[in-house]
Amino acid sequence: MNRRQANRLKPVVPARPPAPPRTPLGSSLRARREQHLYSLFSSLGRLAARPWATALTLAVLSLALAFPLLFWLLLDNARDLSGSVEDARAISVFLKPNLDADAANDLAARLRARDDVAAVELKSPAQGLEEFRARSGFAEALKVLHYNPLPAVLIVSPRVVSTSDPAPALVAELGRDANVDIVQYDAQWRQRLGAILAVTQRGGVLLALLLGLAALLVVGNTVRLDIQGRGEEIAVMQLLGADNGFVRRPFLYSGFWYGAFAGVLSIVLIGLVEWALAAPLAQLVASYDRRFSVHGVSATVMFAAVAASAALGWLGAWIAASRHIALGQPR
Amino acid sequence: MIRFEHVSKRYSAGHEAITELSFDLAAGEMAFVTGHSGAGKSTLLKLIALVERPTRGQILVNGQNLGQVRRRRIPQVRRGIGMVFQDHRLLMDRSVFDNVALPLVIAGAGREETARRVRAALDKVGLLGREREAPVTLSTGEQQRVGIARAIVVKPPVLIADEPTGNLDPQLSAEIMGLFSEFHQVGTTVLIASHDLPLIKRMGKRVLVLDHGRLIDDFRPQP
Repeated sequence: MNRRQANRLKPVVPARPPAPPRTPLGSSLRARREQHLYSLFSSLGRLAARPWATALTLAVLSLALAFPLLFWLLLDNARDLSGSVEDARAISVFLKPNLDADAANDLAARLRARDDVAAVELKSPAQGLEEFRARSGFAEALKVLHYNPLPAVLIVSPRVVSTSDPAPALVAELGRDANVDIVQYDAQWRQRLGAILAVTQRGGVLLALLLGLAALLVVGNTVRLDIQGRGEEIAVMQLLGADNGFVRRPFLYSGFWYGAFAGVLSIVLIGLVEWALAAPLAQLVASYDRRFSVHGVSATVMFAAVAASAALGWLGAWIAASRHIALGQPR
Repeated sequence: MIRFEHVSKRYSAGHEAITELSFDLAAGEMAFVTGHSGAGKSTLLKLIALVERPTRGQILVNGQNLGQVRRRRIPQVRRGIGMVFQDHRLLMDRSVFDNVALPLVIAGAGREETARRVRAALDKVGLLGREREAPVTLSTGEQQRVGIARAIVVKPPVLIADEPTGNLDPQLSAEIMGLFSEFHQVGTTVLIASHDLPLIKRMGKRVLVLDHGRLIDDFRPQP
Protein backbone atom coordinates (compact mmCIF):
# COMPACT_ATOMS: atom_id res chain seq x y z
CA MET A 1 0.00 0.00 0.00
CA ASN A 2 2.67 2.48 1.06
CA ARG A 3 4.81 1.39 -1.78
CA ARG A 4 2.01 2.25 -4.19
CA GLN A 5 1.57 5.69 -2.76
CA ALA A 6 5.28 6.37 -3.01
CA ASN A 7 5.03 5.33 -6.61
CA ARG A 8 2.75 8.21 -7.39
CA LEU A 9 5.49 10.67 -6.63
CA LYS A 10 7.94 9.19 -9.10
CA PRO A 11 8.26 11.12 -12.33
CA VAL A 12 7.46 8.13 -14.51
CA VAL A 13 4.22 6.57 -13.41
CA PRO A 14 3.18 3.50 -15.37
CA ALA A 15 -0.23 4.32 -16.71
CA ARG A 16 -1.49 7.78 -15.82
CA PRO A 17 -3.92 9.28 -18.27
CA PRO A 18 -1.79 9.61 -21.39
CA ALA A 19 -4.37 11.80 -23.08
CA PRO A 20 -4.04 15.52 -23.95
CA PRO A 21 -3.93 17.27 -20.53
CA ARG A 22 -0.75 18.30 -18.69
CA THR A 23 1.33 19.51 -21.59
CA PRO A 24 3.94 22.29 -21.75
CA LEU A 25 3.02 25.89 -20.99
CA GLY A 26 2.65 27.05 -24.59
CA SER A 27 0.13 24.41 -25.47
CA SER A 28 -1.68 24.78 -22.16
CA LEU A 29 -2.15 28.48 -22.96
CA ARG A 30 -3.40 27.49 -26.37
CA ALA A 31 -5.71 25.00 -24.68
CA ARG A 32 -7.16 27.77 -22.51
CA ARG A 33 -7.65 29.92 -25.56
CA GLU A 34 -9.44 27.07 -27.35
CA GLN A 35 -11.69 26.56 -24.35
CA HIS A 36 -12.49 30.26 -24.12
CA LEU A 37 -13.26 30.47 -27.83
CA TYR A 38 -15.48 27.43 -27.46
CA SER A 39 -17.35 29.00 -24.54
CA LEU A 40 -17.62 32.35 -26.30
CA PHE A 41 -19.31 30.91 -29.36
CA SER A 42 -21.36 28.26 -27.61
CA SER A 43 -22.79 30.93 -25.29
CA LEU A 44 -23.70 33.12 -28.28
CA GLY A 45 -25.31 30.10 -29.88
CA ARG A 46 -27.36 29.48 -26.77
CA LEU A 47 -28.68 33.05 -26.78
CA ALA A 48 -29.53 32.81 -30.47
CA ALA A 49 -31.24 29.46 -29.95
CA ARG A 50 -33.96 31.13 -27.84
CA PRO A 51 -34.47 34.49 -29.59
CA TRP A 52 -37.69 35.49 -27.79
CA ALA A 53 -36.49 34.73 -24.29
CA THR A 54 -33.23 36.50 -25.05
CA ALA A 55 -35.01 39.54 -26.51
CA LEU A 56 -37.25 39.79 -23.46
CA THR A 57 -34.33 39.61 -21.06
CA LEU A 58 -32.45 42.19 -23.09
CA ALA A 59 -35.47 44.52 -23.13
CA VAL A 60 -35.80 44.42 -19.34
CA LEU A 61 -32.06 44.86 -18.86
CA SER A 62 -31.74 47.74 -21.29
CA LEU A 63 -34.63 49.60 -19.65
CA ALA A 64 -33.04 49.12 -16.25
CA LEU A 65 -29.82 50.57 -17.66
CA ALA A 66 -31.42 53.36 -19.71
CA PHE A 67 -33.17 54.97 -16.74
CA PRO A 68 -30.08 55.84 -14.72
CA LEU A 69 -28.34 56.91 -17.91
CA LEU A 70 -31.19 59.24 -18.83
CA PHE A 71 -31.25 60.61 -15.31
CA TRP A 72 -27.54 61.25 -15.46
CA LEU A 73 -27.98 63.05 -18.78
CA LEU A 74 -30.65 65.36 -17.34
CA LEU A 75 -28.53 66.09 -14.32
CA ASP A 76 -25.43 66.77 -16.37
CA ASN A 77 -27.35 69.26 -18.49
CA ALA A 78 -28.84 70.92 -15.43
CA ARG A 79 -25.37 71.30 -13.94
CA ASP A 80 -24.14 72.94 -17.14
CA LEU A 81 -27.13 75.23 -17.08
CA SER A 82 -26.44 76.37 -13.54
CA GLY A 83 -22.83 76.96 -14.52
CA SER A 84 -23.86 79.19 -17.40
CA VAL A 85 -25.72 81.58 -15.11
CA GLU A 86 -23.03 84.18 -15.38
CA ASP A 87 -21.79 86.47 -12.73
CA ALA A 88 -23.57 84.68 -9.99
CA ARG A 89 -21.69 86.38 -7.16
CA ALA A 90 -22.93 89.76 -8.19
CA ILE A 91 -25.57 91.52 -6.10
CA SER A 92 -28.31 93.22 -8.07
CA VAL A 93 -29.55 96.29 -6.24
CA PHE A 94 -32.83 97.65 -7.59
CA LEU A 95 -33.18 101.27 -6.58
CA LYS A 96 -36.46 103.02 -5.79
CA PRO A 97 -38.22 103.79 -9.11
CA ASN A 98 -38.52 107.52 -8.44
CA LEU A 99 -34.86 107.96 -7.50
CA ASP A 100 -33.07 110.45 -9.74
CA ALA A 101 -29.81 109.83 -11.54
CA ASP A 102 -27.68 111.94 -9.18
CA ALA A 103 -28.81 110.05 -6.09
CA ALA A 104 -28.07 106.79 -7.91
CA ASN A 105 -24.58 108.01 -8.83
CA ASP A 106 -24.03 109.07 -5.24
CA LEU A 107 -24.94 105.68 -3.90
CA ALA A 108 -22.69 103.99 -6.47
CA ALA A 109 -19.76 106.22 -5.45
CA ARG A 110 -20.33 105.45 -1.77
CA LEU A 111 -20.36 101.75 -2.46
CA ARG A 112 -17.19 101.90 -4.56
CA ALA A 113 -15.41 103.41 -1.64
CA ARG A 114 -16.12 100.40 0.57
CA ASP A 115 -13.46 97.77 1.32
CA ASP A 116 -15.70 94.78 0.64
CA VAL A 117 -16.78 95.99 -2.79
CA ALA A 118 -14.73 95.20 -5.85
CA ALA A 119 -16.78 97.01 -8.49
CA VAL A 120 -20.08 98.75 -8.99
CA GLU A 121 -21.86 99.13 -12.29
CA LEU A 122 -24.76 101.49 -12.65
CA LYS A 123 -27.47 100.70 -15.13
CA SER A 124 -29.85 103.51 -15.78
CA PRO A 125 -33.55 102.76 -16.47
CA ALA A 126 -32.96 103.52 -20.17
CA GLN A 127 -30.09 101.03 -20.38
CA GLY A 128 -32.18 98.46 -18.56
CA LEU A 129 -35.05 98.86 -21.00
CA GLU A 130 -32.69 98.51 -23.96
CA GLU A 131 -31.23 95.30 -22.53
CA PHE A 132 -34.60 93.90 -21.68
CA ARG A 133 -35.82 94.57 -25.18
CA ALA A 134 -32.78 92.89 -26.74
CA ARG A 135 -32.69 89.82 -24.58
CA SER A 136 -36.12 88.69 -23.61
CA GLY A 137 -38.04 88.96 -26.82
CA PHE A 138 -40.60 91.26 -25.22
CA ALA A 139 -39.87 94.06 -27.69
CA GLU A 140 -43.46 94.14 -28.99
CA ALA A 141 -44.96 94.21 -25.53
CA LEU A 142 -42.62 96.94 -24.40
CA LYS A 143 -43.67 99.17 -27.29
CA VAL A 144 -47.14 99.34 -25.79
CA LEU A 145 -45.80 100.99 -22.64
CA HIS A 146 -45.76 104.80 -22.70
CA TYR A 147 -43.19 105.10 -19.97
CA ASN A 148 -40.19 103.20 -18.73
CA PRO A 149 -41.23 101.14 -15.69
CA LEU A 150 -37.72 99.98 -14.92
CA PRO A 151 -35.71 101.32 -12.01
CA ALA A 152 -31.99 102.08 -12.02
CA VAL A 153 -29.96 99.05 -11.05
CA LEU A 154 -26.57 98.76 -9.37
CA ILE A 155 -24.61 95.58 -10.12
CA VAL A 156 -22.35 95.28 -7.09
CA SER A 157 -19.49 92.76 -7.21
CA PRO A 158 -18.41 92.00 -3.68
CA ARG A 159 -14.73 91.44 -2.96
CA VAL A 160 -14.63 87.73 -2.25
CA VAL A 161 -13.28 86.95 1.19
CA SER A 162 -14.43 83.42 1.65
CA THR A 163 -16.26 81.44 -0.99
CA SER A 164 -18.46 79.71 1.53
CA ASP A 165 -19.93 82.92 2.94
CA PRO A 166 -23.58 82.57 1.99
CA ALA A 167 -24.67 86.23 2.18
CA PRO A 168 -22.15 88.90 3.00
CA ALA A 169 -23.03 91.63 5.48
CA LEU A 170 -23.09 93.96 2.49
CA VAL A 171 -26.32 92.36 1.27
CA ALA A 172 -28.08 93.06 4.56
CA GLU A 173 -26.75 96.61 4.70
CA LEU A 174 -27.92 97.36 1.18
CA GLY A 175 -31.34 96.10 2.08
CA ARG A 176 -31.58 98.70 4.84
CA ASP A 177 -30.64 101.62 2.59
CA ALA A 178 -33.56 104.04 2.08
CA ASN A 179 -32.82 104.37 -1.66
CA VAL A 180 -32.90 100.67 -2.28
CA ASP A 181 -36.04 98.86 -3.28
CA ILE A 182 -34.96 95.21 -3.70
CA VAL A 183 -31.63 93.42 -3.25
CA GLN A 184 -31.24 90.33 -5.36
CA TYR A 185 -28.33 88.15 -4.46
CA ASP A 186 -27.87 85.51 -7.21
CA ALA A 187 -25.37 83.46 -5.27
CA GLN A 188 -28.07 82.52 -2.79
CA TRP A 189 -30.28 81.29 -5.58
CA ARG A 190 -27.37 79.47 -7.08
CA GLN A 191 -26.57 77.84 -3.81
CA ARG A 192 -30.11 76.58 -3.54
CA LEU A 193 -29.95 75.25 -7.07
CA GLY A 194 -26.67 73.59 -6.20
CA ALA A 195 -28.27 71.98 -3.17
CA ILE A 196 -31.23 70.79 -5.22
CA LEU A 197 -28.85 69.37 -7.79
CA ALA A 198 -26.85 67.60 -5.08
CA VAL A 199 -30.01 66.00 -3.68
CA THR A 200 -31.11 64.97 -7.17
CA GLN A 201 -27.66 63.62 -7.88
CA ARG A 202 -27.70 61.51 -4.75
CA GLY A 203 -31.14 60.29 -5.75
CA GLY A 204 -29.78 59.47 -9.19
CA VAL A 205 -26.91 57.46 -7.72
CA LEU A 206 -29.36 55.52 -5.53
CA LEU A 207 -31.62 54.91 -8.50
CA ALA A 208 -28.65 53.70 -10.54
CA LEU A 209 -27.60 51.38 -7.72
CA LEU A 210 -31.09 49.93 -7.34
CA LEU A 211 -31.57 49.44 -11.06
CA GLY A 212 -28.05 48.00 -11.30
CA LEU A 213 -29.02 45.51 -8.62
CA ALA A 214 -32.18 44.73 -10.58
CA ALA A 215 -30.07 44.11 -13.70
CA LEU A 216 -27.82 41.82 -11.66
CA LEU A 217 -30.83 39.85 -10.45
CA VAL A 218 -32.33 39.62 -13.94
CA VAL A 219 -29.10 38.21 -15.38
CA GLY A 220 -28.62 35.97 -12.34
CA ASN A 221 -32.12 34.57 -12.61
CA THR A 222 -31.89 34.05 -16.35
CA VAL A 223 -28.61 32.20 -15.95
CA ARG A 224 -30.03 30.17 -13.06
CA LEU A 225 -32.94 29.02 -15.25
CA ASP A 226 -30.48 28.26 -18.03
CA ILE A 227 -28.38 26.15 -15.65
CA GLN A 228 -31.43 24.26 -14.44
CA GLY A 229 -32.52 23.63 -18.01
CA ARG A 230 -29.10 22.23 -18.78
CA GLY A 231 -28.78 19.99 -15.76
CA GLU A 232 -28.28 16.86 -17.84
CA GLU A 233 -25.67 18.49 -20.04
CA ILE A 234 -23.80 19.76 -17.00
CA ALA A 235 -23.92 16.32 -15.37
CA VAL A 236 -22.54 14.68 -18.53
CA MET A 237 -19.75 17.23 -18.80
CA GLN A 238 -18.82 16.70 -15.18
CA LEU A 239 -18.73 12.93 -15.70
CA LEU A 240 -16.45 13.46 -18.69
CA GLY A 241 -14.03 15.33 -16.46
CA ALA A 242 -15.07 18.97 -16.87
CA ASP A 243 -14.14 21.10 -13.86
CA ASN A 244 -16.36 23.83 -12.45
CA GLY A 245 -14.51 26.48 -14.43
CA PHE A 246 -15.26 24.76 -17.71
CA VAL A 247 -18.92 24.21 -16.90
CA ARG A 248 -19.32 27.75 -15.63
CA ARG A 249 -17.56 29.53 -18.47
CA PRO A 250 -20.31 29.47 -21.13
CA PHE A 251 -22.76 30.84 -18.57
CA LEU A 252 -20.36 33.64 -17.68
CA TYR A 253 -20.07 34.49 -21.34
CA SER A 254 -23.89 34.47 -21.64
CA GLY A 255 -23.99 36.95 -18.77
CA PHE A 256 -21.35 39.03 -20.49
CA TRP A 257 -23.32 39.02 -23.74
CA TYR A 258 -26.57 39.87 -21.98
CA GLY A 259 -24.87 42.83 -20.32
CA ALA A 260 -23.06 44.04 -23.43
CA PHE A 261 -26.09 43.77 -25.71
CA ALA A 262 -28.34 45.39 -23.12
CA GLY A 263 -25.79 48.21 -22.78
CA VAL A 264 -25.82 48.83 -26.51
CA LEU A 265 -29.60 48.65 -26.56
CA SER A 266 -29.90 51.17 -23.73
CA ILE A 267 -27.65 53.54 -25.69
CA VAL A 268 -29.98 53.11 -28.64
CA LEU A 269 -32.93 53.88 -26.34
CA ILE A 270 -31.21 57.03 -25.11
CA GLY A 271 -30.54 57.93 -28.72
CA LEU A 272 -34.24 57.59 -29.48
CA VAL A 273 -35.14 59.78 -26.51
CA GLU A 274 -32.62 62.39 -27.64
CA TRP A 275 -34.01 62.25 -31.14
CA ALA A 276 -37.60 62.62 -29.92
CA LEU A 277 -36.67 65.59 -27.74
CA ALA A 278 -34.37 67.27 -30.26
CA ALA A 279 -36.97 69.49 -31.99
CA PRO A 280 -38.79 70.82 -28.89
CA LEU A 281 -35.46 71.31 -27.11
CA ALA A 282 -34.09 73.28 -30.03
CA GLN A 283 -37.19 75.51 -29.84
CA LEU A 284 -36.72 75.98 -26.13
CA VAL A 285 -33.06 76.89 -26.54
CA ALA A 286 -33.92 79.29 -29.36
CA SER A 287 -36.56 80.99 -27.20
CA TYR A 288 -33.83 81.70 -24.67
CA ASP A 289 -31.67 83.27 -27.37
CA ARG A 290 -29.35 80.26 -27.18
CA ARG A 291 -28.00 81.44 -23.87
CA PHE A 292 -27.63 77.80 -22.89
CA SER A 293 -27.19 74.55 -24.78
CA VAL A 294 -28.04 70.93 -24.18
CA HIS A 295 -25.85 67.96 -24.99
CA GLY A 296 -26.38 64.25 -25.50
CA VAL A 297 -24.41 61.28 -24.22
CA SER A 298 -20.74 61.45 -25.17
CA ALA A 299 -18.87 58.55 -26.74
CA THR A 300 -16.85 58.06 -23.55
CA VAL A 301 -19.98 57.73 -21.46
CA MET A 302 -21.48 55.34 -24.01
CA PHE A 303 -18.41 53.15 -23.88
CA ALA A 304 -18.34 53.25 -20.08
CA ALA A 305 -22.05 52.38 -19.92
CA VAL A 306 -21.64 49.36 -22.20
CA ALA A 307 -18.52 48.21 -20.33
CA ALA A 308 -20.21 48.59 -16.94
CA SER A 309 -23.26 46.77 -18.22
CA ALA A 310 -21.16 43.88 -19.56
CA ALA A 311 -19.33 43.67 -16.24
CA LEU A 312 -22.65 43.64 -14.42
CA GLY A 313 -23.89 40.80 -16.62
CA TRP A 314 -20.73 38.81 -16.00
CA LEU A 315 -21.03 39.33 -12.26
CA GLY A 316 -24.70 38.32 -12.19
CA ALA A 317 -23.92 35.16 -14.14
CA TRP A 318 -20.94 34.42 -11.91
CA ILE A 319 -23.02 34.62 -8.75
CA ALA A 320 -25.73 32.37 -10.19
CA ALA A 321 -23.28 29.91 -11.73
CA SER A 322 -21.07 29.59 -8.65
CA ARG A 323 -24.06 28.86 -6.52
CA HIS A 324 -26.03 26.52 -8.73
CA ILE A 325 -23.27 24.58 -10.45
CA ALA A 326 -21.57 23.88 -7.13
CA LEU A 327 -24.87 22.56 -5.78
CA GLY A 328 -25.44 20.39 -8.82
CA GLN A 329 -22.08 18.70 -8.74
CA PRO A 330 -21.80 15.08 -7.59
CA ARG A 331 -19.39 14.69 -4.71
CA MET B 1 -5.48 -1.19 -12.52
CA ILE B 2 -8.73 -1.24 -10.58
CA ARG B 3 -8.41 -2.51 -7.02
CA PHE B 4 -11.11 -2.64 -4.33
CA GLU B 5 -10.02 -3.33 -0.76
CA HIS B 6 -12.82 -4.13 1.71
CA VAL B 7 -15.06 -1.51 0.19
CA SER B 8 -18.50 -0.84 1.64
CA LYS B 9 -20.95 1.78 0.53
CA ARG B 10 -23.94 2.73 2.63
CA TYR B 11 -26.28 5.38 1.25
CA SER B 12 -27.60 7.99 3.62
CA ALA B 13 -31.00 6.27 3.56
CA GLY B 14 -29.34 3.36 5.40
CA HIS B 15 -29.36 0.93 2.51
CA GLU B 16 -26.00 -0.77 2.08
CA ALA B 17 -25.34 -1.11 -1.64
CA ILE B 18 -21.92 -2.74 -1.41
CA THR B 19 -20.51 -4.76 1.47
CA GLU B 20 -16.87 -5.70 2.05
CA LEU B 21 -16.04 -5.85 -1.64
CA SER B 22 -12.48 -6.76 -2.63
CA PHE B 23 -11.17 -7.55 -6.09
CA ASP B 24 -8.28 -6.65 -8.32
CA LEU B 25 -8.45 -6.03 -12.03
CA ALA B 26 -5.07 -6.07 -13.77
CA ALA B 27 -4.06 -3.49 -16.37
CA GLY B 28 -5.42 -4.48 -19.76
CA GLU B 29 -7.87 -6.98 -18.29
CA MET B 30 -11.50 -7.15 -19.37
CA ALA B 31 -14.22 -8.20 -16.92
CA PHE B 32 -17.96 -8.15 -16.43
CA VAL B 33 -19.88 -7.32 -13.29
CA THR B 34 -23.21 -9.05 -13.11
CA GLY B 35 -25.99 -9.72 -10.66
CA HIS B 36 -29.70 -9.01 -10.25
CA SER B 37 -30.82 -5.41 -10.36
CA GLY B 38 -29.98 -3.67 -7.11
CA ALA B 39 -27.02 -5.98 -6.51
CA GLY B 40 -24.65 -3.02 -6.52
CA LYS B 41 -23.33 -3.04 -10.10
CA SER B 42 -24.04 0.64 -10.74
CA THR B 43 -22.74 1.67 -7.34
CA LEU B 44 -19.49 -0.15 -8.06
CA LEU B 45 -19.02 1.82 -11.27
CA LYS B 46 -20.01 5.09 -9.56
CA LEU B 47 -17.33 4.49 -6.97
CA ILE B 48 -14.71 4.09 -9.70
CA ALA B 49 -15.88 7.30 -11.42
CA LEU B 50 -15.85 9.17 -8.09
CA VAL B 51 -19.54 9.92 -8.40
CA GLU B 52 -19.83 8.31 -4.97
CA ARG B 53 -17.32 7.86 -2.18
CA PRO B 54 -17.07 4.57 -0.26
CA THR B 55 -18.20 4.49 3.35
CA ARG B 56 -15.31 2.14 4.20
CA GLY B 57 -12.37 0.62 2.39
CA GLN B 58 -9.99 1.79 -0.31
CA ILE B 59 -10.24 1.98 -4.05
CA LEU B 60 -7.23 2.29 -6.31
CA VAL B 61 -7.65 3.20 -9.94
CA ASN B 62 -4.73 3.68 -12.24
CA GLY B 63 -2.34 3.47 -9.28
CA GLN B 64 -4.15 6.27 -7.51
CA ASN B 65 -5.92 5.99 -4.17
CA LEU B 66 -9.30 7.56 -4.82
CA GLY B 67 -9.76 8.27 -1.12
CA GLN B 68 -6.95 10.80 -1.38
CA VAL B 69 -8.36 12.62 -4.37
CA ARG B 70 -9.67 15.99 -3.30
CA ARG B 71 -12.84 17.39 -4.72
CA ARG B 72 -11.01 19.84 -6.94
CA ARG B 73 -9.00 17.05 -8.53
CA ILE B 74 -11.97 14.78 -9.29
CA PRO B 75 -12.37 16.11 -12.86
CA GLN B 76 -8.76 15.24 -13.65
CA VAL B 77 -9.24 11.67 -12.41
CA ARG B 78 -12.38 11.30 -14.49
CA ARG B 79 -10.52 12.33 -17.64
CA GLY B 80 -8.54 9.10 -17.28
CA ILE B 81 -11.71 6.99 -17.24
CA GLY B 82 -13.90 6.46 -20.28
CA MET B 83 -17.54 6.05 -19.36
CA VAL B 84 -20.36 4.46 -21.36
CA PHE B 85 -23.93 4.66 -20.09
CA GLN B 86 -26.99 2.54 -20.73
CA ASP B 87 -28.93 5.52 -22.12
CA HIS B 88 -25.74 6.79 -23.82
CA ARG B 89 -26.36 10.31 -22.42
CA LEU B 90 -25.52 12.12 -25.62
CA LEU B 91 -26.22 15.86 -25.86
CA MET B 92 -29.13 15.87 -28.27
CA ASP B 93 -28.77 19.50 -29.32
CA ARG B 94 -25.30 18.92 -30.73
CA SER B 95 -23.95 17.04 -33.69
CA VAL B 96 -22.28 13.63 -33.48
CA PHE B 97 -18.93 15.36 -33.97
CA ASP B 98 -19.50 17.81 -31.11
CA ASN B 99 -20.58 15.00 -28.80
CA VAL B 100 -17.50 12.92 -29.47
CA ALA B 101 -15.26 16.01 -29.31
CA LEU B 102 -16.52 17.02 -25.87
CA PRO B 103 -13.85 15.21 -23.79
CA LEU B 104 -11.16 16.71 -26.04
CA VAL B 105 -12.63 20.19 -25.69
CA ILE B 106 -12.71 19.69 -21.93
CA ALA B 107 -9.07 18.62 -22.01
CA GLY B 108 -8.29 21.68 -24.14
CA ALA B 109 -7.06 19.96 -27.29
CA GLY B 110 -6.43 22.06 -30.39
CA ARG B 111 -8.94 22.15 -33.20
CA GLU B 112 -6.96 20.11 -35.69
CA GLU B 113 -6.03 17.49 -33.18
CA THR B 114 -9.65 17.32 -32.05
CA ALA B 115 -10.91 16.81 -35.59
CA ARG B 116 -8.33 14.12 -36.25
CA ARG B 117 -9.02 12.18 -33.07
CA VAL B 118 -12.80 12.48 -33.36
CA ARG B 119 -12.64 10.98 -36.85
CA ALA B 120 -10.36 8.22 -35.63
CA ALA B 121 -12.79 7.39 -32.81
CA LEU B 122 -15.80 7.46 -35.13
CA ASP B 123 -13.91 5.25 -37.56
CA LYS B 124 -13.31 2.68 -34.81
CA VAL B 125 -17.02 2.45 -34.01
CA GLY B 126 -17.94 2.35 -37.70
CA LEU B 127 -19.58 5.76 -37.93
CA LEU B 128 -17.04 7.65 -40.00
CA GLY B 129 -18.78 10.15 -42.26
CA ARG B 130 -21.78 10.55 -39.96
CA GLU B 131 -20.18 13.32 -37.88
CA ARG B 132 -22.48 16.13 -39.10
CA GLU B 133 -25.66 14.26 -38.20
CA ALA B 134 -27.71 14.91 -35.10
CA PRO B 135 -27.89 12.06 -32.57
CA VAL B 136 -31.69 11.89 -32.87
CA THR B 137 -31.42 10.82 -36.49
CA LEU B 138 -29.35 7.77 -35.52
CA SER B 139 -30.66 4.38 -34.45
CA THR B 140 -30.34 3.28 -30.83
CA GLY B 141 -27.37 1.08 -31.66
CA GLU B 142 -25.65 3.90 -33.52
CA GLN B 143 -26.30 6.30 -30.64
CA GLN B 144 -24.61 3.87 -28.30
CA ARG B 145 -21.65 3.67 -30.67
CA VAL B 146 -21.36 7.46 -30.56
CA GLY B 147 -21.38 7.14 -26.76
CA ILE B 148 -18.54 4.65 -27.00
CA ALA B 149 -16.59 6.85 -29.41
CA ARG B 150 -16.95 9.70 -26.89
CA ALA B 151 -15.63 7.44 -24.12
CA ILE B 152 -12.55 6.31 -26.02
CA VAL B 153 -11.64 9.48 -27.92
CA VAL B 154 -9.09 10.56 -25.29
CA LYS B 155 -7.69 6.99 -25.19
CA PRO B 156 -8.33 6.48 -21.49
CA PRO B 157 -6.49 3.63 -19.76
CA VAL B 158 -9.75 2.54 -18.11
CA LEU B 159 -13.11 2.06 -19.78
CA ILE B 160 -16.22 1.42 -17.68
CA ALA B 161 -19.70 0.76 -19.02
CA ASP B 162 -23.02 0.54 -17.18
CA GLU B 163 -25.42 -1.79 -19.02
CA PRO B 164 -24.21 -0.61 -22.43
CA THR B 165 -26.45 -3.10 -24.23
CA GLY B 166 -29.47 -2.71 -21.95
CA ASN B 167 -31.60 -1.13 -24.67
CA LEU B 168 -30.32 -3.16 -27.64
CA ASP B 169 -31.42 -6.35 -29.36
CA PRO B 170 -29.11 -9.40 -29.17
CA GLN B 171 -27.38 -8.81 -32.49
CA LEU B 172 -26.59 -5.14 -31.77
CA SER B 173 -25.55 -6.12 -28.26
CA ALA B 174 -23.03 -8.60 -29.65
CA GLU B 175 -21.65 -5.92 -31.97
CA ILE B 176 -21.24 -3.46 -29.10
CA MET B 177 -19.52 -6.08 -26.97
CA GLY B 178 -17.25 -6.83 -29.89
CA LEU B 179 -16.21 -3.18 -29.86
CA PHE B 180 -15.34 -3.32 -26.16
CA SER B 181 -13.37 -6.47 -26.88
CA GLU B 182 -11.34 -4.60 -29.49
CA PHE B 183 -10.42 -1.85 -27.05
CA HIS B 184 -9.43 -4.52 -24.55
CA GLN B 185 -7.13 -6.04 -27.16
CA VAL B 186 -5.25 -2.76 -27.60
CA GLY B 187 -4.52 -2.65 -23.86
CA THR B 188 -7.44 -0.75 -22.32
CA THR B 189 -8.74 -2.04 -19.00
CA VAL B 190 -12.46 -2.68 -19.50
CA LEU B 191 -15.11 -3.22 -16.82
CA ILE B 192 -18.71 -3.71 -17.95
CA ALA B 193 -21.77 -4.01 -15.76
CA SER B 194 -24.41 -6.17 -17.44
CA HIS B 195 -27.14 -8.63 -16.57
CA ASP B 196 -27.19 -10.21 -20.02
CA LEU B 197 -25.81 -13.59 -18.89
CA PRO B 198 -25.94 -15.43 -22.25
CA LEU B 199 -23.96 -12.62 -23.87
CA ILE B 200 -21.43 -12.52 -21.03
CA LYS B 201 -20.93 -16.27 -21.31
CA ARG B 202 -20.24 -16.02 -25.00
CA MET B 203 -17.59 -13.36 -24.41
CA GLY B 204 -15.54 -15.81 -22.32
CA LYS B 205 -14.09 -13.15 -20.01
CA ARG B 206 -13.74 -12.80 -16.26
CA VAL B 207 -17.08 -12.32 -14.46
CA LEU B 208 -17.64 -10.80 -11.01
CA VAL B 209 -21.01 -11.83 -9.61
CA LEU B 210 -22.62 -9.55 -7.04
CA ASP B 211 -25.53 -10.42 -4.79
CA HIS B 212 -26.94 -7.85 -2.38
CA GLY B 213 -23.69 -5.93 -2.50
CA ARG B 214 -21.43 -8.95 -1.82
CA LEU B 215 -19.07 -10.65 -4.25
CA ILE B 216 -20.35 -14.21 -4.42
CA ASP B 217 -18.39 -15.45 -7.40
CA ASP B 218 -15.28 -14.43 -9.34
CA PHE B 219 -15.35 -16.60 -12.42
CA ARG B 220 -12.21 -16.68 -14.56
CA PRO B 221 -12.30 -18.49 -17.90
CA GLN B 222 -9.75 -21.25 -18.37
CA PRO B 223 -7.31 -20.35 -21.12
